[in-house]
Amino acid sequence: MSLRKQTPSDFLKQIIGRPVVVKLNSGVDYRGVLACLDGYMNIAIEQTEEYVNGQLKNKYGDAFLRGNN
Amino acid sequence: MMTYGEQAEGDVRTWRMEKSGKRERREREWYSYLHRQGCQQPTTNTVEEPLDLIRLSLDERIYVKMRNDRELRGRLHAYDQHLNMILGDVEETVTTVEIDEETYEELYKSTKRNIPMLFVRGDGVVLVAPPLRVG
Repeated sequence: MSLRKQTPSDFLKQIIGRPVVVKLNSGVDYRGVLACLDGYMNIAIEQTEEYVNGQLKNKYGDAFLRGNN
Repeated sequence: MMTYGEQAEGDVRTWRMEKSGKRERREREWYSYLHRQGCQQPTTNTVEEPLDLIRLSLDERIYVKMRNDRELRGRLHAYDQHLNMILGDVEETVTTVEIDEETYEELYKSTKRNIPMLFVRGDGVVLVAPPLRVG
């Protein structure tokens, strides 16, 4: 993966469909498959699991995370 | 050369473009970037953004996690790009932790209340999901 111009936009297109970890400002962790995202970094994840200190909740289907977090 | 009509494919995008100029330009740049990359954008097969997928949950019950340890469960009647929402028949849960000064044990308390119709300001929203099925 070589770096070119427009790397952020290209990167965002590349990682769609991959398993990801999303860490929020609050420290909460969400792991799942990245379904889609937009320019504001709003994110839709499938098969989400939420981790704070230990595993708390399982979210099946889509979870939407607001970009400012 | 894209026409405004082509650009405005999709209700969400049209509506958003009528809003402030800055956002309109940013959306237009993002969309024109996709076109420059040769992406074909036929009617409903467009790459959906998270907000389009929230649209699928309209009139369904949803779970909303908010700042300050609050959770809402209710029926989604409306939303916008800020994630301002109108929820009907909602149950709000506020979770607090009390710490005993002597034993230092943590006591988790949750307070619930029911609200028939609620407007939620989007900046407090953290996460939106279908209602949890405990697993």
